[in-house]
Amino acid sequence: MKKFFGFMLIFLFLLLAACSGDSDEETTPDATTDDVEQSNENQEETAEEGEEAITLRMSWWGSQNRHDMTNEIIELYEEQNPHVTIQTEFTGFDGYFEKMAAQASGNNLPDIMQQNFGEYVNQYASQDLLADLGPYVEEGTIDLEGVADTVIESGKVDGTLVGIPTGTNALVATYNPSAYEEAGIEPPTHDWTWDDFVDIATQYHEATGDYGTRLAEPGNMFDYYLREKGYSLFNEDSSGLGYDDDQVLTDYLAMNKDMIDAGVMPGYDVIQQVQGLEDELIVRGETPLDPTNWSNQVGTLEKTAGEPLEMVVLPGENNDQGMFLKPSMLWSIGKNSEHKEEAAKFINFFTNTVEVFEVIGSDRGVPIKPEVREALQPNLSEIDQKVYEYVNYVAENSSPADTNYPPAASEVLSHLEDIDEMVMYGQITPEEGAQQFREAAESVLAE
Amino acid sequence: MRSQSPFLSQKKRGGMMANHVLTQPKRRKYRQYDNKMGYLFLSPFIIGTVMLTLFPILYSFYLSFTEFNMVGTPSWIGMENYQEAFTNDPKFWDAMKVTFLYAGTGVPIRLVFALLIALVLNKVVEAAGIYRTLLYLPSIVGGSIGVAIMWRQLFGNDGAVNSILATFGLPTHAWLGDPNTAIWTLVVLYGWQFGSSMLIFLAGLRNIPTNYYEASAVDGASKLQQFFRITIPMLTPVILFNTVMQTIQGFMAFTPSFIITQGGPVNSTLLYILYMYRNAFEFFKMGYASALAWIMLVIIAIFTALIFKSSEYWVHYEDN
Repeated sequence: MKKFFGFMLIFLFLLLAACSGDSDEETTPDATTDDVEQSNENQEETAEEGEEAITLRMSWWGSQNRHDMTNEIIELYEEQNPHVTIQTEFTGFDGYFEKMAAQASGNNLPDIMQQNFGEYVNQYASQDLLADLGPYVEEGTIDLEGVADTVIESGKVDGTLVGIPTGTNALVATYNPSAYEEAGIEPPTHDWTWDDFVDIATQYHEATGDYGTRLAEPGNMFDYYLREKGYSLFNEDSSGLGYDDDQVLTDYLAMNKDMIDAGVMPGYDVIQQVQGLEDELIVRGETPLDPTNWSNQVGTLEKTAGEPLEMVVLPGENNDQGMFLKPSMLWSIGKNSEHKEEAAKFINFFTNTVEVFEVIGSDRGVPIKPEVREALQPNLSEIDQKVYEYVNYVAENSSPADTNYPPAASEVLSHLEDIDEMVMYGQITPEEGAQQFREAAESVLAE
Repeated sequence: MRSQSPFLSQKKRGGMMANHVLTQPKRRKYRQYDNKMGYLFLSPFIIGTVMLTLFPILYSFYLSFTEFNMVGTPSWIGMENYQEAFTNDPKFWDAMKVTFLYAGTGVPIRLVFALLIALVLNKVVEAAGIYRTLLYLPSIVGGSIGVAIMWRQLFGNDGAVNSILATFGLPTHAWLGDPNTAIWTLVVLYGWQFGSSMLIFLAGLRNIPTNYYEASAVDGASKLQQFFRITIPMLTPVILFNTVMQTIQGFMAFTPSFIITQGGPVNSTLLYILYMYRNAFEFFKMGYASALAWIMLVIIAIFTALIFKSSEYWVHYEDN
């Protein structure tokens, strides 16, 4: 009896071995590079085109709106280039760079990667994870003819071109004109001051009982506030903070705290509940004013709000000094990519094709190529028209962006967010907050 | 087809040896052969454990003495990461406090709930399977993102909890927005996922011989006396098991604070593992995060040891 079972077992094993032997040749594509390569080879055999069939991996972050539009563009590219298959990986911003970090560590970055200007691209470049795009631009694979030097410059880290800007972006204060009209209050204009900001918000709150403005998270807002006052968040070699007097942060925190206490501005208990752009207070009609968005976000905001929104620059007498243009995002190529040439071709397509921007609008910023901008001009949607005009205005009324964000910036900003929360919840005073932030930031930057 | 011959030859040898099974030395050989087969069958598991668990564990131990930002090479800095955590990182202590509060309240709540529900279920005769499944469901989906997102909606400012309160004219509250209440919503979630402990309790209850109850009833014991004199003592080994398992789980919780509150407001729900994750994947301080992981490992080991040590005094095994 035992013998019988023994034979049965062997028989089963042989059967299994035989089966698995067959299926070896049709491995399903997995996340590992080996498997991807394998599936590439398969397509190579079946591709009807003369060109080698390849798969490019591409990653980006964004809203659902952007995911849909980007997928549409990818389909367009795949139609025109049948030998290219693009495997997409997309998420919201939260979690995107965590995922990329894990891939970087495994030397497995995507071929085409949406990068972020500032500390992110600086860090990836300093770790030598991104391909040098200079040669592709020189030989014309990526055509940047006519793009402003300052724009190309913003894709460089230490002189090496590691990212092609997807478009140009600027900070923007967004408001809902009809809400102000109903309340009988003058909406903000480009020359508003910080006092005007507080006044307009307070008046609106007193007139309607709703929030007069959204509470801005400090990452963008305080950075801008410092620039407007003639300082910067980090000093030149990013070994410490770029301002000496803690009174600046104290004033900033006190301004917001006073408005929260007066009910003009929501506290973090409300802000914390916002789940993405589609859920913003201005979209839900709970406030007419959002002081810090990026110009490429206004399209999504207006679309979900369902009524026209207007744009002004951020407040402050010296707002031309505080405002800056920056690349909305960058397209980078992972250094580990085996198809850099093909990835460069896709980036070229994204940068130079009018149809791309007909789909994507201003979601990844205003196109960097003048011809593309001109070709789009007559057919722009109303909102994209407004965004283009706004970015043009900022181009003439701004100063260069700070590029010296150190890799530790994300940790410094997380301290700033913590302290901002503590002050807004009333756990510490603005003075204590300003002091604690300096201590925390300098301890991080000194490392 | 290549794999055919080794199997066959081994089988033949095995068959031969089975005939001499009574003689001592050969018998030992037979056992060795048995083991080889055993290891062969276990090999997928063993290889998996070594490569996917043991190696990462040891590597993280090495990393905890280095500075490492995920790319490049780790540089040795000795005990600096541990020093930093204990002496120069207030957030480390914040996260510790939150985690101890969470595990310290969540674990007893879950255990008491699990035991109470198990006691009730033990009495249910009809359709017990359905009840068991229904009550177990939250635990199956418990670790999942879905439940965490649901929780966020439930306790949100415009969520179900506030709506219900408003319907009854009670004051609503920003449950997740108030640093004093946010952690308790997570504790309640932890308590609610009592299913697996409940099943184990239920199995323990079924194992208590009914004649104990019958005998004590004849002697005039009340239900309450039976519970404290028979049920609880007989259940202590199961209680020990559940306490150990749940304590470990409680210290290692991550999803709720990651999804529901992102550690906020004001770090009031910053569970230790979330803080570790942030150091690793947001600040790219892999070495420091590894040190944090090892500190937690030691803490969990100490607690587990203490629970086991204390068990001498309160756990009752039937055979002694």
